[in-house]
This record gives sequence, structure tokens and C-alpha cells, in this order.
Amino acid sequence: MNPTRRQILKTQAAAVAASAAGIVTPADAQPLTGADTLHIKWSKAPCRFCGTGCGVMVGVKDDRVVATHGDALAEVNRGLNCVKGYFLSKIMYGADRLTRPLLRKRDGVYDKEGAFEPVSWDEAFDVMASQVKRILKEKGPTGIAMFGSGQWTIWEGYAATKLMRAGFLSNNLDPNARHCMASAAYALMRTFGMDEPMGCYDDFEQADVFVLWGSNMAEMHPILWTRITDRRLSTPDCKVVVLSTFTNRSSDLADLPIVFKPGTDLAILNYIANHIISSGRVNQRFIRDHTLFLKAQTDIGYGLRPDHPLEVAAKGAADPAATTTTDFDSYAAFVKDYTLQKVAALSGVEPEMLHELAELYADPKRKVVSLWTMGFNQHVRGVWANQLVYNLHLLTGKISEPGNGPFSLTGQPSACGTAREVGTFAHRLPADMLVANPEHRKHAEAIWQVPAGLLNPVPGYHAVQQDRMLKDGKLNFLWVQVNNNLQAAPNSANETWLGYRNPQNFIVVSDAYPTVTAKAADLILPSAMWVEKEGAYGNAERRTQFWHQLAPPPGEARSDVWQLMEFSKRFTTEEVWPAELLAANPDFRGKTLHEVLFRNGSVDKFPLTDLATGYACHDSQLVGFYLQKGLFEEYAAFGRGHGHDLGAFDTYHQVRGLRWPVVGGNETRWRYREGHDPYVTPGQGVQFYGRPDGRAVILSAPYEPPAESPDAEFNFWLVTGRVLEHWHSGSMTMRVPELYRAFPGGRVFMNALDARRLRINQGAEVQVISRRGIIRSRIETRGRNRMPSGVIFVPWFDASQLINQVTLDATDPISKQADFKKCAVKIVPVAV
Amino acid sequence: MSEPGGHISSAIVTARPEDVATVATLIAKLPHTEVHARSATRIVVVMEAADSAALADRLTVIAALPRVLAAMMVFEQVLNDESIGAA
Repeated sequence: MNPTRRQILKTQAAAVAASAAGIVTPADAQPLTGADTLHIKWSKAPCRFCGTGCGVMVGVKDDRVVATHGDALAEVNRGLNCVKGYFLSKIMYGADRLTRPLLRKRDGVYDKEGAFEPVSWDEAFDVMASQVKRILKEKGPTGIAMFGSGQWTIWEGYAATKLMRAGFLSNNLDPNARHCMASAAYALMRTFGMDEPMGCYDDFEQADVFVLWGSNMAEMHPILWTRITDRRLSTPDCKVVVLSTFTNRSSDLADLPIVFKPGTDLAILNYIANHIISSGRVNQRFIRDHTLFLKAQTDIGYGLRPDHPLEVAAKGAADPAATTTTDFDSYAAFVKDYTLQKVAALSGVEPEMLHELAELYADPKRKVVSLWTMGFNQHVRGVWANQLVYNLHLLTGKISEPGNGPFSLTGQPSACGTAREVGTFAHRLPADMLVANPEHRKHAEAIWQVPAGLLNPVPGYHAVQQDRMLKDGKLNFLWVQVNNNLQAAPNSANETWLGYRNPQNFIVVSDAYPTVTAKAADLILPSAMWVEKEGAYGNAERRTQFWHQLAPPPGEARSDVWQLMEFSKRFTTEEVWPAELLAANPDFRGKTLHEVLFRNGSVDKFPLTDLATGYACHDSQLVGFYLQKGLFEEYAAFGRGHGHDLGAFDTYHQVRGLRWPVVGGNETRWRYREGHDPYVTPGQGVQFYGRPDGRAVILSAPYEPPAESPDAEFNFWLVTGRVLEHWHSGSMTMRVPELYRAFPGGRVFMNALDARRLRINQGAEVQVISRRGIIRSRIETRGRNRMPSGVIFVPWFDASQLINQVTLDATDPISKQADFKKCAVKIVPVAV
Repeated sequence: MSEPGGHISSAIVTARPEDVATVATLIAKLPHTEVHARSATRIVVVMEAADSAALADRLTVIAALPRVLAAMMVFEQVLNDESIGAA
């Protein structure tokens, strides 16, 4: 090794890091000069993993991604990478990558009990189409469903929603984002009339106080945590509060680390509201001009099956989303009951800490950002929890301005961009519109150029309901794309698994790897992933980001959008639309769904000559037009002109993302605030224009207990979640050797005194047992998560320890999102 | 000391101002790991190793050091392209 060259490269590496860290060094940084000599082509892309939306530079050599590094031009991460992003280049090259369609067969034909055999795409789609046609004849559109993802690219989600709703006339389309942030989306719609946060990551450099509600950003959103850490360490009197049901890595930075009993966050939030009111710190002018008060329906049940005793007993379960009008005085009287002493006793938190936290919200001189993810969302009262934190920001007017605001983070790269904005939920249409609203359906039918009255007005089955209906035989076809639901869904052994293997059902899974879900399917379709296709994601701060196809997919793997469009060729309108509708619209007779939905003069409007020079686009080259551009521009028509404006397609390929609404080429950083948001009527100052009255809702809602709490037999709380090294079900990260080695298997994090009492040693094998299922794992009493007595934490990335066989399928009755954070288990040592 | 290998990587480590000096000293004691610069709260670290896996392991060690608040990878340089991204 030439020591001089080594020294130069080390100096370069240091200089790049120093630049990203904002440290001036004497070194002259020229990033990537070494790489240039290796003939690597570098292009931008957003990271494949979480909802942060970091920019990465992707290095390609000989059609293979060989390296990635943080994009110094990306505003989100400014050149930094977390350990997952650092090894992004390896997620596509796991040894067991799927490259051919696989169908369960016996004696040469499809058989649900057969073994997987490679088949052609034609045979795969022929068998799949014949199953769909059979089921549509027997049950109609409610007999088929699709389960998608916040990892779909924007155009994949858009093609799926169009095919399901306008093709098959079924609203049985839901994303795995239902498990992730449905509560956040419902709460934003109920409070502001529009989805997604009003602020952006720029708030992190301007706030005085950061309050994490159940979120462990140090491990789950490490790049954003670095920005908060920098703010905390560089700003005198900046405070960080971490509320959690156990002590985690984020607690290390906290000025106020608060551990509370599961579910009692609702009471803490109402106590803070009480403190703001009783100490005279309500922003009276703000609430007079910009808010209204509503009272929630109470005793709303737990989203379990209707015959469950908890549902039968719940008086408000029939209409859980109902509200009634109230006023400030009634609201103040309601929260007055949440006294410091009472809430301290309920939550197990020292009264002094609760008071200090409440003061941070109440102090008019402090700018506060509240942050949360699954702690609030995976909660049987998740919509309320979200709304109760909005109450605090609305009471004090600390919202929609730099450094002040509630901020719901997301877990998937396009939970916002695809699942929410495209509208892939069972009740939604693009741009926050609803299938149940006749005007919204009419608008969608006009943009989609399909007959008036075509769309189905009845919301479809949500995620948990899909699994129940599969088990019950009411839903017989499910197409899963880009997710691993058998590992992700709650109570999976008693619901999901039985549904997938129900002999009446045909299950299709499109994935890049043989996940447990793929292995439980009847047909596996091999998918192109990430930069093997042209794509677009939308991150948690409303930033839409594009990338080009940078490498070819392996073998016969194809993108999900190609799969959706190709499959649509196998159906004619006569086979799927009502005869009377075709009689009234004879021009649509004899056409395939492909022709009606994707060759409509809009999706196929842009020629291949519009493709960027120097980049392939296999999908478009296969169909003969620039389908990504056509799908995007048709989709963008839904949002332009009413607050959801996206920019021009070609611009996104040039810039590091833009935050919508993009008006006149300019992004919007703070919505609803005059001077920042062009949609606010001049002179209004603040305008929550998502609602017709321009006001945001302050909701009166009580503490109600979880669906299941520990008792004498099942005496521990079980909390599930993630760890830094692995992303969600681990289907990608467990195939990166470095990440696998860093955290190879699931563990049961437990309080050391609890372990001693049970006579269990560190590392000992145990069974985690609930009323629903059992897993085996190993005890961890040290390390990153420090548990209070009576609470255990088990991450869910490990397919060999399916913790969701143990969890409860209770959901928030409003959002239908499952509560993965609270159920009761017992721990039994495995005899050796 | 053994040959460090062909992978060179830089990382940024964050600690409280009162802890930066102690953390930097601990990091500098790790094999093939150098502290190149520091500010009030950040430390620029350069690591050398035979492969990416060893770099990831070392970053994990650094992240677990007492008083470290965050440790982020920034940049990886490979002296020969055959070993790029190698495990």
C-alpha cells in the first residue's frame, strides 16, 4: 500500500465528514475523486428505508450498485447516513433474491397444497386472472382485495388504486401503512381537514423544546435525532423531553426522561391542557379566531371482532368517530378532573416531572415541537392521543410557524407520498378525498375518464378486517405487494395465517425476497426493488423525491407498476363492470381494463423521447410510452389548485425533493401561516383552510384503559417495536451481513430485577406466552433498552421469532390501526 | 499493528461539550481509528479496515461507548474496487 495515497484518502474522508459536521479543517475536500477513478457513475436517490427521506448518492458500476453515501446536497441529511443507509447498496443482492414467478403446483397444475414451481409470467397471470374471475362471479367486488404499502412508489400506489377502484370496482385496497400511521392520518383529517404535518424538518433548528411522545428517534430516526442533538447541544436552555414506557437510547440526551405506564399518555396530555388553562396561559386570541371545540364519543370499544365481550359491552362502539359540539368552558371543566396528583398516580410519573413538562408547553416564550410515531399511532386510542397533543399546540397557538408545531413522523419511505397522498386506504381517493363522498367520486371519475357513477361508494376492508374476512371465507383473493404482512399483522397465528391458508382463498405476494408472507402464498411474483426501477417517494415533511432506474432488475423480476398494468390486460369491461352501466356507456364495451385505465390518452401521453438521457427505464421501454410521467401527471391533477399541488415531473428529477404544496415552483415549509403558505387568505394570519370554517378542532376526550392489561397470570406488559439495525420485518436488512451480525436475533428486553425474581439469567431462553400464542426468545437485561419492572420489549424484525403470534388484534376503533404496544404476557423459562 | 486493510471510512460522533474530550480519547484508543478534528460537540473519526463489515462493527462499538449521543457514518473510500462493498 502506498502510504502517501492512503494518507491522502484518509484526509479526504475526514474532510467530507468535517464538512458534513460543519467543522472547518485545513484539508481541501474533493469528495469522490477516488471513486471517479474507479469508473463509478453516481446518481441521487432517496433512501429505501424509513420515512425520514435521506438523500443518498448511489454508485453504479457494470449495471450493479456498488456503493452509496450520504448526499451532501440533500437538505434532510446533509451528507450523513445511519448504519442502515450506509449499507443500502447491499439490500438488492441477498443470495435468495426472487427472480422468477413461483406457483404452488401438483401434477403440473395449480394446487393450494402443492409445492412452489417456477412458471412464466403468462402462466402466473393466467392462473391469477382465472381465480379473480371466478371469485368476482361468486362474490362480486368485495370478494377480492389488495394489500399494498407505504413502500410503493407513488405511481405504483396510484396504478393500484386506479385498477382496484375504477377497474375492479372494489375499495378493498389498504396499505400496510394502516399498521403504521392510520391514527395520525385520521387525527389530522379530524383536526385540520387535511392530512400531513403543517411544519417541516426546518423546525428542528428553531425549536426551544423537543418532546418525544413514545418515540425513540435515536434508533428509529437517527439522522433527524442528530439534528435535534445538534440543536440541544448548541443552544443554551434548549430542552429535550423523552416520554416512553421504557428507558431507551433517546433518553440519554433527555433533560427530562419520563417513563410512564402504558396507555396513560392520554391522561398526561389532558393534565397538561388542564395546567395550561388553570395557569392562565391559554392564547385566547388564537383559540377565539382559529379553533372550535368538539367532544368525542366515549366508551368506543377496541376494534376487536364484534362478538368479543369488550365490544358487546362498549356503549359507544357503534359510532366511535362521532363528536358533538362543545365550548371552551365545558372543555376546561372536563380537563380540570386531570389533576397533577391523580395523573401522577395513574401514570407512575413523579409529579415534579409532569409539572415541569406542562410548564414547557405552557410557557409562551418557549417554542415547542412535539414528535411521535408508533407510540401514539399503535394505540387503541391512537386518534385521540394524536388529537390531544394537537390540543396543546392549539391552546397555546404554538403551531404552523418556524420552531413551533406538532410533528407526526412516519416509518416508511412513502407512507405520506403514496399511502396517504395517493389515497390507497380502503376509504380514500387521491388528495385527501373520500370514496363515500359523491362529489369526490365524481371528480375522480372525471380525471380518470371513466363513466359517471362507476366508482363504489362503500369503503372497503381495512388491514385487520382483510385478515378476518379471509379467515371467514368472505374475502377469497388477496394480492400483497411490497410488504410482509404475515410477520407484521397482529395475532397472526389465529387470524392472518388461517386466512392465507383457507382452502377457498388464492393469495398472491409480489416481493423481492421469500418472506414468511411469500412462503404462505399460492403465487409469488418477483419484484424489482428501489433503483431497479424509476421511482418517487414522499417523506414525513411533505417532500416528494424522485430517482431514475440505475440498475437492471435480476432475472425476470419486474416492477410492481408493470405487474399491475400487465395484469389489467386480462380483463374486459364486460367481465367486471355492471351491464347497465356499459349499456349507458357503449364506448367502453369490448375494451380491456388496460386500455380504459392506462391507454386513456393521459397515462400514455408522454413518448419515450421524454426519458432522461443516460438512464434506462425498463417499464416504459416495455410498454412503449413514459408511463411514470403519465401516471404522475394524471395523479397530480387531483391535487393541483386546492392545497396539494405537486411540481412538474421533470423538475423532481433535478432537485433534492420539494415540499408540497408547490405553487409557482416554490415549496411550502409551514402550512396554514400567512407569509409561508400561499393558500392562506391575506390578512388572516393563520387559516386552517382544510376545514370549511377555517378552524382547527380542540377535542375533549378522556383517558380510557387499554384492551388488555397484565393480571395475576399474564403479568407483564408486552411492547413491540424496532431496533436501529433492522428495518421493520427485516426482509432487507437481515440480508445485509453487517446488519445481521450487529443484531442477529430478536431478544426479550427485561428489567434485571424482574429476571432475578424469575430466576432467569441474561441470555437465557424463555417462552413469551399470551392468550393467543407463544414464541421462544432470549432474555436481555442489559444493553440499549432499560425496562421498568413489569414491562418487556420484543422487536419484531426476526422471522424466526414471530412476536405477532403473541400480540392482540385490538385496534383503534376510529383509525382501525392495531395496538402493538400493549398486551399482557407471561414469561416462562425454557427448561434445559 | 497489523495491516489495516483497504477500506477507509469517516464518521461523525456527537457528545455533550463536557464529554467530547473524554470520548475522543476513548475513540483514539481503538485500533486503526483516528480522531481528525473536533468541535464543541462533534468528533470527526477516520477508520480503516479490511472490509465494510469491520467498519460497521467499529461504528457499533463507538456508538456504545459511554457518553456518545450519536455516531453516524459519512463516507467510505476503497483503495481497490474489487473489495468495494465487500462483507
